[in-house]
Amino acid sequence: MTNQYSAAYAKLENSLAGSSLAWLNDIRAQAKEQFIEQGFPSLRDEEWRYSNLAVLDKKSFAPVLASELGHIDVADLEAYKLNDCWTMVLVDGHYSAGLSDLQGIPDSVTISSLAEALTDKPDTIKRYLGQATNIKEPGFSAFNQAWFTGGVFVHVAAKAILDKPLQILHLVTGAEVLANTHHLIVLEASAEASIIETFLGCEEQYATVSVTEVFVEKNAGLNLYKTQLESDKAVHLGGVYVKQARDSRFNHHNFSFGAVLARTDVHTDLGQAAECDLNGLYLGVKRQHIDNHTRINHVEPYAISKELYKGVLNDKSRGVFQGRVLVAEQAQKTDSDMHNHNLLLSDNAEADTKPQLEIYADDVKCAHGITVGQLDNQAIFALQARGIDEVSAKNMLTFAFANEMVNKIKFKPLHDQILMQVLNRFPQAGIDQAWL
Amino acid sequence: MSSSAEEIEKVIGQKYKDGFVTDIEVETFEPGLNEEIIARLSAIKGEPEFMLEYRLQAFRHWQTMKEPNWAQLKIDPIDYYSISYYSAPKKDSDKPQSLDEIDPELLETYKKLGIPLDEQERLAGVAVDAVFDSVSVATTFKGKLKDAGVIFCPISEALQEYPELVKQYLGTVVSEKDNFFATLNAAVFTDGSFVYIPKGVRCPMELSTYFRINAANTGQFERTLIIADEGSHVSYLEGCTAPMRDENQLHAAVVELVLMDNAEIKYSTVQNWYPGDENGVGGIYNFVTKRAECRGANSKVSWTQVETGSAITWKYPSCVLLGDNSVGEFYSVAVTNNCQQADTGTKMIHIGKNTRSTIISKGISAGRSQNTYRGLVKVAKSAEGARNYTQCDSLLVGDKCAAHTFPYVEVKQPSAQIEHEATTSKISEDQLFFCQQRGISPEDAVSMIVNGFCKSVFKELPMEFAVEAQALLGLSLEGYVG
Repeated sequence: MTNQYSAAYAKLENSLAGSSLAWLNDIRAQAKEQFIEQGFPSLRDEEWRYSNLAVLDKKSFAPVLASELGHIDVADLEAYKLNDCWTMVLVDGHYSAGLSDLQGIPDSVTISSLAEALTDKPDTIKRYLGQATNIKEPGFSAFNQAWFTGGVFVHVAAKAILDKPLQILHLVTGAEVLANTHHLIVLEASAEASIIETFLGCEEQYATVSVTEVFVEKNAGLNLYKTQLESDKAVHLGGVYVKQARDSRFNHHNFSFGAVLARTDVHTDLGQAAECDLNGLYLGVKRQHIDNHTRINHVEPYAISKELYKGVLNDKSRGVFQGRVLVAEQAQKTDSDMHNHNLLLSDNAEADTKPQLEIYADDVKCAHGITVGQLDNQAIFALQARGIDEVSAKNMLTFAFANEMVNKIKFKPLHDQILMQVLNRFPQAGIDQAWL
Repeated sequence: MSSSAEEIEKVIGQKYKDGFVTDIEVETFEPGLNEEIIARLSAIKGEPEFMLEYRLQAFRHWQTMKEPNWAQLKIDPIDYYSISYYSAPKKDSDKPQSLDEIDPELLETYKKLGIPLDEQERLAGVAVDAVFDSVSVATTFKGKLKDAGVIFCPISEALQEYPELVKQYLGTVVSEKDNFFATLNAAVFTDGSFVYIPKGVRCPMELSTYFRINAANTGQFERTLIIADEGSHVSYLEGCTAPMRDENQLHAAVVELVLMDNAEIKYSTVQNWYPGDENGVGGIYNFVTKRAECRGANSKVSWTQVETGSAITWKYPSCVLLGDNSVGEFYSVAVTNNCQQADTGTKMIHIGKNTRSTIISKGISAGRSQNTYRGLVKVAKSAEGARNYTQCDSLLVGDKCAAHTFPYVEVKQPSAQIEHEATTSKISEDQLFFCQQRGISPEDAVSMIVNGFCKSVFKELPMEFAVEAQALLGLSLEGYVG
């Protein structure tokens, strides 16, 4: 029963972002048709074989109007706002100007809600919207494109540098709420920016669908961070779809800690000599199911891709990693390296991993490596021999395993925030935080 | 590499050396597939009642199934109802009792392939159960094996002589509803080998079967069943070549291995069926289901394969590691050239405690071929201390070929240690330069590098196969490898 969503969104029809634009209504209609036909993916779809989205059809998640937002705990929200950042806040999928802070944005940079951008510069949006996603593919792009309520538009002019990071905070305020957002990030030639997406929510069962389209033009560089801290009952579907022009750089850091069912897509198309660096850390506890799906498309020659995902799985959690590297016929001199390491801490945890290399060019260097295992008994023993009790020793080693990913964060306030999250999720009783 | 373009031209121009057609009269069924055909087939074979039931059950299920389409393969549609499902050499009624009685033309076929039957007895300890088309025509060394208590015979014969034994094991590893091709095989298989190694017996020689596909437009459906009882050991060799034909020929074999406590089976394959010409016309469609079940503790199964032939290869020799401490191994070299497509790999299912598996896969693609490794390592919750090491390397020769690696790893047991590594590259300019600098010609250097690339698999092959495999590798990549 996927049509429950078309009924639910019927009442919002006129309040969706850009609802007065004919071309936008057209592409929404196309997506809607596509979604009604194929629905959410099932386990039969190869790229979804480990993640069951049946809950989205069983539960009646519903979108809310901007006027019906639930209670916002401002103090709580402030706690997640990072220092030294501009902030955009989206509540239940709607942009909240009051909670956002964009003071002192340079003229060369546009940061606005997508609805506002659709009014001010519809032609620019038209050029990019839906260009990096593929609604035909099994996933949530069609759903998102049909009914996104709002989002953020970021445009950095050529050679401009966004000197402070932008933090996009997603907040969901009520049970059974469905927040559906679509962001557009455009970096013109030789521009630089850092953007942090943070996902939060109340302690209820709700669903977030978020699609971020990124266009990194010639020689531009983007650092994109994703901190997924949804409530432990939430369903999270987040996708980042990137088009990289020649010589561009894209670094992505994906911290997937929350939600009972979380899926992140990171897909990028690499232009000539472009570089991408995808990092991920997923920590599963209780019955969490965390799925990470990456696709690196080497379309042109000389591009470099690096990828490292690490997972720590405890209790009855399940971690999934699916990484696909595609090297097209003309993408000679490709250099690609992918790694996925999983640590299973409990008898009931599960790790499924599926790295894929699909290579149609001959002069390439591609490799992947994956491991699934437990803590090294000898390392535990070595620590015990130095007077550290077993629990602390295990905690130290687990923390060290995860900390490699945390240390890759260059922006100090975010680094500290993530570090605290990691420590909180795996209580480090024996660890004196002073030596961190 | 200055000469690489020419070398590749030479590779593409390489003709299939084993291509020829033997003119002998065959009794062949008219094309078609229905319950009546299956009943006729079963009757010709003089099979016990339960076999006919088994076949019909499989056929009824097969009719409800769809061809799998998940593999990285482009396959022209196959009309399963326009294939003839039985062809036997003439003089079927009076089977030859010795080599002298064998059709000289048949012997000529083997001679061309370099494995003359009349010399086989003198070959170092190898008994050959040669399959020409669908009926086994010669079995040698039978007496010697019988003394050891080993049963090694065509499966059709086993069905007549040891029906209870076959009934007990047939279809228990690969069920008649397993997959599209295995189900088809269960319905229409014509012959194959049956091996039973009794308790504590170490098979006195390596067992070997040569398969041939000869009559035009006939499918070949082999069924092999090997049972290694407690503490036994056997090494089984399988080699294949097929004559040149323009029409695509379908081959859907099923191999079942059963291992009891402390048993060991080593199963080696060299597959060199006709791969089609340089434009992808003709060639064998090879859809094989191979599975070993380590039922007993401490049992060990080892699959070694060298795949150089076939237009399409769809093959995943698997190990179900049920018994505690059982071991599964998979060593593979897959070479594709011209328009060949291979989607091959393995499945390691860890169920017992302390089960171990090793996967070494080497793929070499040349011409416009597609070479895919697809493998699954699954560790069930019960498989405490399971261990897997996987290494998949691909070598690209030429810029129009493709190499893919699709491993699946599913782990439900925290004490399991799973490692997987894969690399894809072309022959390194540095290595070539290094060799040339020391006075080694480019061809010899490439040959050295490719052979070195495959060495970890070749060393697992029995001696005579290793020689054949190296020759095949040279043949498949001739010009390039020298």
